[in-house]
Amino acid sequence: MRLKTKLFGTLYSFKDVNDVLAKANEEKSGDQLAGLAASSLTEMIAAKEVLSNLTLADLRNHPAVPYEQDEVTRIIQDQVNEKIYAGIKNWTLAEFREWLLSDQADCRSIGRVSRGLTSEMIAGVTKLMSNLDLVYAANKIEVLAHCNTTIGHKGTLGFRLQPNHTTDDPDGIRISTFEGLSYGVGDAVIGLNPVNDSVDSVATVLRMFQEIKETYEIPTQICVLAHVTTQMDAVRQGAPADLIFQSIAGSEKGNKAFGLDGALMAEARDLVLREGTSTGPNVLYFETGQGSELSSDAHHGVDQVTMEARCYGFAKKFQPFLVNTVVGFIGPEYLYDAKQVTRAGLEDHFMGKLTGLPMGVDACYTNHMKTDQNDIENLAMLLSTAGCTYFMGIPQGDDIMLNYQCTGYHDASSLRQLLGLHPVREFEQWLEKMGFMENGRLGQLAGDASTFIR
Amino acid sequence: MEDTIVSVGIDIGTSTTQLVFSRLILKNMASLVSVPQIKIMAKEVIFTSEVHQTPLLSATEIDSPAVRAIVEAEYKRAGMTPEHVDTGAVIITGETARKSNASEVLKTLSGLAGEFVVATAGPALESIIAGKGAHADALSRERGAVVANLDIGGGTTNIAVFKNGEVIDTCCMDIGGRLVKFNEKGCVSYSSHKVGQLAQHLGLSLSQMQPLSTQQMQGLAEAMATILAQVLGCEPATELTRIMATDRLLSLDYAIDYISFSGGVAECMNQENSTPYENPLIFGDLGVYLGRALAQSAIGKRYQIVEAEQTIRATVVGAGSHTTSISGSTISYASQALPLQNLPVLKFSAEEEALPYWDWEQAIGKKLHWFALEEEQQVPALAFRGPKAPGFDAIQEIAGAIIRAMGPRLEPGVPLVVVVENDLAKALGQALQAITGPTRLIVCIDAIAVNQGDYIDIGTPVAHGNVVPVIVKTLALGY
Amino acid sequence: MISEQQIKSIIDEVIKTLSPGAEGVGGGSHMAPAETMTATTAASQNNQPPEEESFLEDLAAVDLRKELLVPGANNPEMYLKLKETTPARLGIWHCGPRPLTRSLLRFRADHAVAQDAVFTDVSDEFLASIGVETIQSCCRDKDEFLTRPDLGRKLPEDQGKKLQAICPENATVQIYIADGLSSTAVETNAMDTYRALVQGLKGMGIEPNPLFFLRYGRVPSMDVISELITPKITVLLIGERPGLATGESMSCYMAYESSTAQPESNRTVISNIHKGGTPAVEAGAHIAGVVKKMLEQKASGLNLKL
Repeated sequence: MRLKTKLFGTLYSFKDVNDVLAKANEEKSGDQLAGLAASSLTEMIAAKEVLSNLTLADLRNHPAVPYEQDEVTRIIQDQVNEKIYAGIKNWTLAEFREWLLSDQADCRSIGRVSRGLTSEMIAGVTKLMSNLDLVYAANKIEVLAHCNTTIGHKGTLGFRLQPNHTTDDPDGIRISTFEGLSYGVGDAVIGLNPVNDSVDSVATVLRMFQEIKETYEIPTQICVLAHVTTQMDAVRQGAPADLIFQSIAGSEKGNKAFGLDGALMAEARDLVLREGTSTGPNVLYFETGQGSELSSDAHHGVDQVTMEARCYGFAKKFQPFLVNTVVGFIGPEYLYDAKQVTRAGLEDHFMGKLTGLPMGVDACYTNHMKTDQNDIENLAMLLSTAGCTYFMGIPQGDDIMLNYQCTGYHDASSLRQLLGLHPVREFEQWLEKMGFMENGRLGQLAGDASTFIR
Repeated sequence: MEDTIVSVGIDIGTSTTQLVFSRLILKNMASLVSVPQIKIMAKEVIFTSEVHQTPLLSATEIDSPAVRAIVEAEYKRAGMTPEHVDTGAVIITGETARKSNASEVLKTLSGLAGEFVVATAGPALESIIAGKGAHADALSRERGAVVANLDIGGGTTNIAVFKNGEVIDTCCMDIGGRLVKFNEKGCVSYSSHKVGQLAQHLGLSLSQMQPLSTQQMQGLAEAMATILAQVLGCEPATELTRIMATDRLLSLDYAIDYISFSGGVAECMNQENSTPYENPLIFGDLGVYLGRALAQSAIGKRYQIVEAEQTIRATVVGAGSHTTSISGSTISYASQALPLQNLPVLKFSAEEEALPYWDWEQAIGKKLHWFALEEEQQVPALAFRGPKAPGFDAIQEIAGAIIRAMGPRLEPGVPLVVVVENDLAKALGQALQAITGPTRLIVCIDAIAVNQGDYIDIGTPVAHGNVVPVIVKTLALGY
Repeated sequence: MISEQQIKSIIDEVIKTLSPGAEGVGGGSHMAPAETMTATTAASQNNQPPEEESFLEDLAAVDLRKELLVPGANNPEMYLKLKETTPARLGIWHCGPRPLTRSLLRFRADHAVAQDAVFTDVSDEFLASIGVETIQSCCRDKDEFLTRPDLGRKLPEDQGKKLQAICPENATVQIYIADGLSSTAVETNAMDTYRALVQGLKGMGIEPNPLFFLRYGRVPSMDVISELITPKITVLLIGERPGLATGESMSCYMAYESSTAQPESNRTVISNIHKGGTPAVEAGAHIAGVVKKMLEQKASGLNLKL
């Protein structure tokens, strides 16, 4: 394993694999805040060069956080199919990149290789790829998951309906939900981020969603994104839930800060399978985002792309229905501007897909970042081209509760029409029945939430 | 954070007397890191009394000791004492309200009911309360529709029209099941003056102790049903219909989508579902006939009828569950000033409120003067909408104007009461106190909309002292 | 595309449904589209003032909750009624799959004002008008403040000395203002809240320490500051990260015997102080009540019973 190289005559040497991984990263303010970033662009390229010569085995043998120390590492390592791994372990990361982009690598073969990978390998190859590489390779991968409906088919683009409200006001949530449905949003899930994390409040919203889903016979799934334990209590008390949600991190310590571990997630999955209202077998919903480990001081001196990849390795174990990165939510100290958010969105989507997850993206930004809605529209177009599984749908992209902006109700039909994509099939049929969609375009009644009133 | 308050509703009607206990669940809707925002989240009836005959001493007098005995017995049956009750309303509805000793009855009861607030109702408020108890308001909100509820009792029919959950019209008719009473032989034992006029139109005379044939009874009931159909616009209103109104008819400048019926007579309409009354005179009055006539009337042909959630109990449930609202959650009050009952309201008009603050003193003064001429000596609660998110200086100016205008009129020990709509009561109360010094009792609450001519009751604080229960007694809608 | 006829009918609809609730002169902001429309038609017909002297409606003044752009909605009244319950951008209709120009520009306007709130410094004029001393955290500029949260909580030595010169030690209550993530929030709300708070404190017989302003300050700065001047209670008024609808939102953080050794849960927070949330003066009066409870219970944060 060689950790040194010369570039333009200057010698660059790196401490260890983590140091190479960190410095090979495209520029991210979070890596700078953590003191891990390359000090110059040439040092970054030198690190990429060193990284491209490491083998998959080098990365397997040097997990970002030691096996003994960290549950997430153990889950990732123990999931590896040793036979498949043995067949690829001598590939350098350069070769791995080239194979992924080659015509030999199709959905099936990538799916097979995926089972021999660790998250560090996935993060490593990502750092060698350009933006177009990330779009091109991700587009090959189809990952399906089934809850009440099937998500992830090629040619489809799903949307989560996110009818958030500043006080969880039932009428406010209801009208937002109705309008989103009328724009063709909500095939991935109807999911609220609640203000109030109490069991009662979560159960109340779940019952309202269930009532809407049943009254209008909507083929989709529902979820309230409270803490996992709150949702579990609500389900135990009889509240209807199709999915259980949780934010996850790429280290045991990070997960602990979120109040969870692997055993709890297994228990949650078991609970929905037994007492949930969905068909399954995929009944969990995870969110991630670069920088969350650093913000809870749980990054172990590892860069944010690698930690993010490890989230996906952890998620895979629990066969989720939905996983998305909330890519620009955390702020400029982690992703400074539009360029960094765009890169992170493409990285996360590709890494999730390569891990074998039905990967969606919350393409978003906060108002203290140097980004605007145009940048997020750009990212959404790139990701749609990359075959992103789903985005968020919020009234005009303005989340009044979480105070950030992302893709809006209008973006659903815009992106689908632009690229010839469809909602989840059963949902599309429902939209047509309701008059919200006609021949792949918005229908007569689209945009009128009061269609549902009376 | 959840908190509950217990509310009692007592309805003393022309024919029946009932009581319910309701639980109002209060919840802080704001996140933990915000100023509290306490709202009534749910209302549930936790105890319903028997339906008692209203005890009467004579045709014009309620037997108040007997009413008190009924209420005491029901308290006992419910396992409640007056100390359990935070708020509530007693209403004397229908014809009875015009009977001689209504206020004495209220006095008899108010002692029993502890500190809770007691309300007499006018016809408009009765209609609204019954409509809410019947859930017509909720239905209109759910369906985004116009729903008219007819609460047909012994003495009156109270109609409330709701659109998208808000009341838009009310009226009260002298039509009810017990305006004529019969003895077991079918002879008239009592008839009201107005129903006598109605009978006259039909060429009938309702003489005391004279028998009425079944056909005559049906004819009378059908005439009553026709009048209600006219009120609802099924056919043009005649002079007779105008005579039968206690005040005014519905304006009908809206299209009604649904009709619901509540009150005792509504129970007699739905004969497929309940045991048919083989003996139509089972109650000794016209109720069964009136119910049947309504079921056959033009109303059902013209409009879609929806079942009310409460029929005979609509008014009492309305009184128990739907009369109390709560103030905003940042308010100022001197605990020792509460509860306050039957406070007349002096409300700034929109024009007065648009005046610069330095002119408020004079405007308030003028209103107070005018008020003193019309009403008794009581100093009213001052009400205005208030600016939205005012600055600190604006609050000081408003407080100054109020104190200069009202201060001289307040006896020592009499609380200064200010009721506003927008969220500013805590800051305003603090500013008022800064001017008066600590001795003056001040009650300054917000999130309450009142109109000129309303009366207001303010209860003792609930939800850790964050809010006070409020009952606004609307005597007439601002049509 | 929607025709002019349709637009007119939408506007008529909106006005019709709203006119009963129309209030005063300034309150009728939803009337603006009609006014603009009549103004332009009138100008083209009569000899009204030339176009360059008139101005267009203030897009940002329109109350979005009261505006419905859906032509021929199934139930416009109920739509508006439900819209009243949420600040979400609903009922905005579409051209093809995209939002109307009006909604697009309003969104951009709201984002612009939010970004200005973050990236602009609290002005010297404002600070001069309130007459308080300014101290500065370890951040050199806004950019460093945004990317280095660790520096926004610390004071360089000279600034610490300056603080000690302004504020006597061991006061009962120390109030200060920091820009945080919204200078606009501070300029709009801080003084109304501060003055109402001081009026409330005086009513309880408490005279707070002199007010000061911390530039490039984050919330944990209150621990560092409290350690230097040791007040019983520290109250920080700080600009919140702006949302689109809430660029003016301010928070208040309070702590009893605040110090770097205390956990974050020692802080009591009141957020969402702005004209669309808790009005500034009302928040100030409320905070005075909270301070009183802190003094009585000698506690704050999770240990405080409100």
